[in-house]
Amino acid sequence: MTSPALELSGIDMHYGYVGALAGIDFHVNPGEVVGLLGDNGAGKSTLLKVMSGAHRPSGGTIRVHGKEVQFHSPSDSADAGIQMVYQDLALVDPQDISTNLSIGREILRKGPLGWLGFVDRKAMRKRSEAELDRLGVRTAPMTRPVEMLSGGQRQVVALARGAIRVSGEANGVLLLDEPTAALGYEQTRQVEALIRRMAAQGVAIVLVTHNLPLCSEVADRVVVLNRGSKVADVAVADTEPDHIVGWITGARASQFA
Amino acid sequence: MTVTAAPVEKADVPVPTGHDMPRAVTALVFVRDRGIFVLWGLIIVAFSFWCAPYFATLDNALLIANAAALTAIFAAGVGFGVMTGVLDLSLPGTAAFAACVAGWLITNGQPIWLALVAGLACGVLVGLVNGLIALRGFNPIIVTIGTLSALSGLAAVIAGGYTFPGLTGLTFMGTDRYLGVPAPVYIVGLLFLVGTVFLTRTRDGIRLMAVGGNAEAVRRSGIHSDRYKVLGFVISGLCAALGGLVTAAITTEATPEASPSIIFNALTAVALAGVALTGGRGSLPRVLVGALILATIANGLTIRGIQPYWATVTTGVLLLASLLLERVVQTSVSNRLMASANLSVHKKQV
Repeated sequence: MTSPALELSGIDMHYGYVGALAGIDFHVNPGEVVGLLGDNGAGKSTLLKVMSGAHRPSGGTIRVHGKEVQFHSPSDSADAGIQMVYQDLALVDPQDISTNLSIGREILRKGPLGWLGFVDRKAMRKRSEAELDRLGVRTAPMTRPVEMLSGGQRQVVALARGAIRVSGEANGVLLLDEPTAALGYEQTRQVEALIRRMAAQGVAIVLVTHNLPLCSEVADRVVVLNRGSKVADVAVADTEPDHIVGWITGARASQFA
Repeated sequence: MTVTAAPVEKADVPVPTGHDMPRAVTALVFVRDRGIFVLWGLIIVAFSFWCAPYFATLDNALLIANAAALTAIFAAGVGFGVMTGVLDLSLPGTAAFAACVAGWLITNGQPIWLALVAGLACGVLVGLVNGLIALRGFNPIIVTIGTLSALSGLAAVIAGGYTFPGLTGLTFMGTDRYLGVPAPVYIVGLLFLVGTVFLTRTRDGIRLMAVGGNAEAVRRSGIHSDRYKVLGFVISGLCAALGGLVTAAITTEATPEASPSIIFNALTAVALAGVALTGGRGSLPRVLVGALILATIANGLTIRGIQPYWATVTTGVLLLASLLLERVVQTSVSNRLMASANLSVHKKQV
C-alpha cells in the first residue's frame, strides 16, 4: 500500500477561542476523488485553506506522499505539488488559452533572442495543445482569447491549468472549490468527465461542493464535516444520498462518535 | 482498494480548427482591434480631397508626424500604464522634473549625455516611488496626482522660479532633421517599435499585460505580480521623462511648468485607440495611430483655414463616437458568442 498523496492527521484550528476544526483526519490517495461535504460553516473552507497552505493549523500534521511538511504560504503547498482551483477562475480574460496555461512557465526562444526574454509562442501553443489533448478537453483553438469562451470552457481551462501544474513526475493533489457552481447541465457533465480523467491519470483530487449529485457521480469517497468535526468518511458505493444529507444536517449520528 | 471510475467519455466533439467562430464575430473583433487604422485611413482620404492639393504631400505628412510626436510619447507612457492596470497622472510633473534636472546639469557645464541619462533616471525613480506607494494599497490616481504636484514644485525649485533657456546642445534630438525627417519622429518610431516588441514578444511584456488583465491570476501562477505593477509605473515614468527631454530639445528650453494638457492629449489618444482603462487590453500601434489622428485632424482643419478650436470639438466628438462603437461591438460580440456557445453544446453546426 503506497502512502496517500496528501494526509492530514489530528488537524485542529482555532480562531482565537473559536474552534473551527477539531482533530480532523483526512487523506486522499493518488487517483482518488474525495468529495468534501458539509453545511455552511461546517469547516470545509477552513480545511481546504489548511491544505492549500493559506492557513496554518493550530495543531496536527500534514504529510505529502508520506513526508511530513509545514506550509507557511500557498507557494509552499504549490511547491509540494498541491494546486487549488478557486471558484473565481482567475483567468486573464484578454489573453488566449495558450498564454493562460503557460504563464509562469513560458518557453523562451533558443539563442540570443531567448536571452533577451523572447518567448516561443508556437512552442507554447503546441505544448498547451498536447496538455489539453492528454486531458481530452481541446474545446477551442489555442489562440482564442479566454473572454470569448463559454462558462464551461473557461472552467475547463482553469481546471487544466491546475492539472498541468500537478501532474508532473510526482503526481500531485488538486483542490477544487465548487467547480460546477456556475455551470449548466451539459457543461457540468463535461467537467465531471474531466475530473474523472484527471483522476485516471493519477492525480489526487479533493472536491468541495454543495452539489450532491455531482459528488455521487464523480467521487470515490465522501468526507462529511459538521460543526468542525468529521462525522462521516465513507465510500460512495457503500452509502446513499439520504445518509449523506443526514450527516450534513446532523440528523444522522456521527460514524466516529 | 478498488476505484470505481465512471466510464471515461471519449471526447466526441471534433477538434476545432479555429473556423468555428461565426463570421460576424470575426468581423466585429476586426472592427474592435483594427478599426482605428481604418478610421485614420478614411480621415486621410477625406482630407486629401477636401484639402487638395496641400494635404496629401510628403512634406505635410512629415509635419503631421512631427506634430504628433510629443503627444505620441506621452500617450505611450499613459498607454503602458493603462495596459498594466495603472493610471499614471504624474506624467506632466515627471516630464517637467526630468527636463529641469537635465537643464540644470547642462547649464552647469555637464556633458549632454550625462544630462540625458540623469533625466531618464529621474523618470525611472519617479516610477519606482509611484509604484511602491501605490502598492501599499493607495489609489494610484490620488498617489500620482500627489507626485504630480510635488514634482512640478521640485522642478520649480531646481529652476529657482525661472526656466533653463538656451539648451542649444539638445537640438540634435529636437529640431534637427536627418534625411529630411525631424529627430522626434525617429524617437517616436523607435519607442513604439521597442515597446510593441516588448509587450507582445517577450516574457516580461506578456506578464505585464497579464497583470493588467488579472493580477490575481498571475499571482496564483506563482509570479510576483507586484513587481510587474511597479514595472508598469517605471516604464510610464521613463516615457514621461523622455517626453520632457524631447520637449526641452524642441523649444531649447526646460520649463518647470507641468501643463495638464499633456496628460489630457495623451489620454485622448489612448482612449481613441480603444485601450480600455480597466487594463490588460490594447496595443501600442493603436495608441500611435490615436496620436496621429489628433494631429491629422488639427493639420487638415488648419489647411482649410478653419478655426483651431474646431479641431478640439472634432476630437471630442470622435472620442465619444469611439466609446459608443466599443459598446456596440462588445454587446453584439457577446450576444453572438452566447448564441454559438449554446449551439455548440448541443453539437449543432454553427
